[in-house]
Amino acid sequence: MRKFTLTLASLLVVTSLLLPGCSASTPDPAPAETNEASAGQPDESLSGIISVSGAFALYPMMTVWADKFHKFHPEVEFDVQGGGAGKGMTDTIAGAVDIGMISRSIKPEEEAQNIFWVSVAKDAVFPIISSENPVAEQILAKGISQEVFNKIYISGEITSWGEVVGDPSITDEIHIFTRSDAAGAAEQWSKFAGGKAQEDLKGIGVNGEPSILDTVIKDPLGIGYGNLNSIFDLSSGNTVPGIIIPPIDIDKNGMADAVEIYAIKQDAFNAVANGTYPSPPARFENLATLGKPEGLTLAFIEWILTDGQQYLESAGYVPLTPEQQAESLAKLK
Amino acid sequence: MSQLNQISASQLIKKTAGRLIRPAIVARVRQDRFARRTFFVITLLPVFLILTVTIALLVRSWPILNTYPLHDLLFGDIWKPTNGQFGFWPFILGTFWVSAVGIVLAVPPCLLVSIYLAEYAHARTRSIAKPVLDLLAAIPPVVYGVWGLLAIVPFVDKVLAPSSDRWLGSPQWAVPVSIFAVNQPTGFGILAAGIVLAVMIAPLIISVMYEIFSTVPNDLRHASLAVGATQWQTIHNIVLPQVAPGILAAIVLGASRALGETIAVLMVVGNIPQVPTSIFDSAYPLPALIANNYGEMMSIPLYDAALLSAALVLLVVILIFNILSMLVIQRMLRRKWAS
Repeated sequence: MRKFTLTLASLLVVTSLLLPGCSASTPDPAPAETNEASAGQPDESLSGIISVSGAFALYPMMTVWADKFHKFHPEVEFDVQGGGAGKGMTDTIAGAVDIGMISRSIKPEEEAQNIFWVSVAKDAVFPIISSENPVAEQILAKGISQEVFNKIYISGEITSWGEVVGDPSITDEIHIFTRSDAAGAAEQWSKFAGGKAQEDLKGIGVNGEPSILDTVIKDPLGIGYGNLNSIFDLSSGNTVPGIIIPPIDIDKNGMADAVEIYAIKQDAFNAVANGTYPSPPARFENLATLGKPEGLTLAFIEWILTDGQQYLESAGYVPLTPEQQAESLAKLK
Repeated sequence: MSQLNQISASQLIKKTAGRLIRPAIVARVRQDRFARRTFFVITLLPVFLILTVTIALLVRSWPILNTYPLHDLLFGDIWKPTNGQFGFWPFILGTFWVSAVGIVLAVPPCLLVSIYLAEYAHARTRSIAKPVLDLLAAIPPVVYGVWGLLAIVPFVDKVLAPSSDRWLGSPQWAVPVSIFAVNQPTGFGILAAGIVLAVMIAPLIISVMYEIFSTVPNDLRHASLAVGATQWQTIHNIVLPQVAPGILAAIVLGASRALGETIAVLMVVGNIPQVPTSIFDSAYPLPALIANNYGEMMSIPLYDAALLSAALVLLVVILIFNILSMLVIQRMLRRKWAS
């Protein structure tokens, strides 16, 4: 018996030794110039572990950044986890991770808990309808105005596709879809449509970005919304087969102008990058830290804001404009 | 108990004429006592676990319980956390509707299947059907959810909803049956979730019912058959009354699983916080509320507290349900013994 207890105890000790120390963020005394790293020469002046958790919307981008940064700084290891913006925020506040990925705006309650944040990329939410939609042609010609989205998604005044295009003879009911899981995309969409939070959106809640896309593809009367990187086939630049992105009639002239049409990825990218696409639903993706970042974490965030920007587009995110980049960098100082 | 051990140990020494040396016996007794105490402590753990979970949930949801009257939280029907409206009523009703539809759909066929397997089936049929049913129980919930999304939602949308609308829910019907009215025609809703749930809990219910049927002594069946009863009469008059409390227990087990089922339900239920009036309406059960929002919202203090009090409500609902059904089963058993 005693022998068994001893074995067990020693086993426990050994395993606890084998487990890596949690978030060993050894602050590097001298944050190296990160720019020279892009020359391709491995730079070993930085070392340590950076732990990141948070929004699923930023997760794929963060893995790319972590991978590239690790190539230039082989001594820097990463621990990247998803879990949602709220988890990232909670982990950051608790000091469990160095960086939290937040795909929504930072709330005052969170800033009050010593949260510091910078925007690192732009993203946008676009409306989607099925390519089988009975009034698809009229919608493509006329666009849908913000006011109409408000009446569909928030007030519920508009319930048929005929009302959307101004043709009362069409009585097909609109099947409204929204995200059931709390998501930055839904919050942005709600703000665009005139609501305040995700809970203001009407519609059937489906779970997750792929599901809402899939549901709209299958339902000719459906309307939904999706992130830039999920509604376009990133390699070909076309929309995902089965969906149409309705033009947003920004100037309310009752017709879809060239800048309001988002038929291919590049159209949408340009509209978001040069600001013609309204914000919201365009949004910033943010990184949060507990207090101002320093040392290794600071070096990594600075790298994301400079050299890291070049990887955004291929992953389906929109890089910051030079002014926004400068603004974020200034905030870090 | 330990005295008993002492006695038997000393008797053992006498019987073996002192051949066993004393220290060995002491060690054996100690070993026995050690086992008994350890197992006792481990048995106590689940009780403590329920207590700790309840207390932890209570503590974490205290901010909201302290801010709003309990009545408003439980029976309020508006859920707008950013406006400070935290009504759980739509979620409580959603949980109830979805589970009830699941149980209503699952129980009759489960009863028939288990009667067939226990009373009629050939040994070979049984040896094939039983493992297949157990296999169904092993399929992970998320797979059922995907199946619901791909097969059940379109089925409800294209087949069940139109025919129900035509035959039962339409206004030209003398008295439209409102629980069959189609108000949100997308296929996502209580019925889809209920069907998925029914299929998920069926293997569990069948397997428990089957075991219960097997506990009925064969002598009873033989006696009944010997006086000329048919097999159906035997089942109906002899076997079923014997197992009635057990069948209820099986249903309760299935219902408990249904009340707590999360992912498969939230994928097909539509997740609209409204008070449902029809089985084609969307609903929003409590587990789905927690799963949908917990990761994103736990950094907002009052929202976090609201979600944890939703968890507390779910726990209390399930506890009350289980305790009530335990009482009913006990009463049934007592009446059976009395007669």
